[in-house]
Amino acid sequence: MTTFLALLRRDLVVAGRNAGPLLLATLTQPILVVLVFGNILPRMNLVADGFRTVMLPGLMAITMMMAGVQGVLMPLTQDLSGTREVDERILAPIGVLGVALEKIVAGAIHAALAGLTALPAMMLLMHEVGGMSVHPRWLSLLPLVASCGLLSAAFGLTLGTTVQPRFSGLLFAVVLGPMMLFGCAYYPWAGLSALGPIRYAFLVNPLVFMSEAMRFAVTPEVPHMPLGPMLGGLAFFFLLLAYTGARSFERRTIL
Amino acid sequence: MNSPMLEVEDLVKTYPAKRKTPAVDAVRGVSFSVPAGEFFGLLGPNGAGKSTTIGCINTLVRATSGRITVDGVDIVRDPLAARRRIAVVPQNRNLDRDLSVREVLTYHGRYFGLPAAEREARADRLLEELQIADKAKAKPPTLSGGQQQRVMIARALMHDPKVLLLDEPTTGLDPQARRVLWETLRGLHAGGLTIILTTHYMEEADRLCQRLAIVDHGKILTLDSPAALKSSLPGGRILDLWLRAAAPLGPRLSAVAGVMKIEPVEVDGVEDGLERLRLFVDPAEGLLDRVLREVKAGGGDLHHVSLTAPSLEDVYIHLTGKELRD
Repeated sequence: MTTFLALLRRDLVVAGRNAGPLLLATLTQPILVVLVFGNILPRMNLVADGFRTVMLPGLMAITMMMAGVQGVLMPLTQDLSGTREVDERILAPIGVLGVALEKIVAGAIHAALAGLTALPAMMLLMHEVGGMSVHPRWLSLLPLVASCGLLSAAFGLTLGTTVQPRFSGLLFAVVLGPMMLFGCAYYPWAGLSALGPIRYAFLVNPLVFMSEAMRFAVTPEVPHMPLGPMLGGLAFFFLLLAYTGARSFERRTIL
Repeated sequence: MNSPMLEVEDLVKTYPAKRKTPAVDAVRGVSFSVPAGEFFGLLGPNGAGKSTTIGCINTLVRATSGRITVDGVDIVRDPLAARRRIAVVPQNRNLDRDLSVREVLTYHGRYFGLPAAEREARADRLLEELQIADKAKAKPPTLSGGQQQRVMIARALMHDPKVLLLDEPTTGLDPQARRVLWETLRGLHAGGLTIILTTHYMEEADRLCQRLAIVDHGKILTLDSPAALKSSLPGGRILDLWLRAAAPLGPRLSAVAGVMKIEPVEVDGVEDGLERLRLFVDPAEGLLDRVLREVKAGGGDLHHVSLTAPSLEDVYIHLTGKELRD
């Protein structure tokens, strides 16, 4: 446990020193989206009033997903690169799986902080437009943000250990981009009933559960997925991705 | 009881076949044992299996079979206890780029659960000892290769290991930095640390190691002290002849008094057309004369001669029939 906390402390200290660029990398996109779709377009009456309320929790989920993935992926690329800084940490008396778990927790903290920073920033930007119904359930918000953070970081570990760095550009275009569009961020899962049974195909995307979880916690008035399936989905994808990520981390580090 | 500090028994490592690359037998049955306080070396060319052997000892490589114990601890059964006893200075410089030199040491201490006062004091002492105190606040990538190497050694010593494993520590260092590092390692050894070093530099192995194993193709060819290895060669001197000859001169030369043994040596492309004969000789009166006469009588065209005391390189050539190139 001492080793685990020491590793975590190291990752957080280093992340803290790079806080500026990290925040910029994770918050720029959602804030600009909010500015355009939540502020400018509504003033021109080009989007429906309800859209902002639907979009806000979705953007929070996207922010956390991106922050979690980047929070693990970026340091991991450096760790596993030619110099293999990771070897020092693997040689600490903790074991490979301990190091993998530490990566996930560090990424989750990163993601949770990004999500919790994004929420007030976005509310502020849309504030003057009016017609929003944001009523956060604070008690469920924190554990759900933590769960979404863990899921995102586990996803980052899986991507970081299975995708070669030279394909990381492709990763954003082919994996993360579509995930964001089909992740129920810009529309609620309930609304997908318009598509018929094909809507169940959306459930392979873990972001769906994250968006719905944020909808549940931040904008309860918007119809959202029932708590049971939503928590089940979060747990299922977390376990799946944490297991896959840890296994492939082990394969990458122990020859 | 005086059990060895490190014991490697029948170590085998086969890297499994991947797409396009066949399986590689990197280590094929290596056994050795190192008593506490010894400076032990693994000498061999690149690809001989030295790094894989070190990797198996430090738990970053999973052995296919065999058994390794460090200070009596089985590294497979109890890897965490084994990691507390060993310290690793890897071949590539893997210092944490995001921390300062001093933090590299103190964080390493944290990973191993050292109490604050102890790790701060030890970091300061090691910075001093390894002459990097003036770089304490610098980021590792700004240091020279030799300095980074010393930081890696200081980092390795933070958790007070019993065995220090160094994988090709002086590769890529300039001669000056190499000598400084040799002095450092000698000092650590004098302080009682058990050191295992891999190298492909003959001189390094000769100067530092009390005993060394010469490794090639995943096997130990021989294991002894450098002096014993050198004196194991027949004769006592080595006479190398670079020549061109129509008929083989071997039989003629082996009849010369004082010539104990003859071995052909593989010659690289640079000396195209020349044959290299290695004569293990007893440097008696008039030996050179007799050899030269015999070469001439056999129709040989002699280009170059060298008469030397045997080095580890010669032991290597004797064992493998080829030169060990950097």
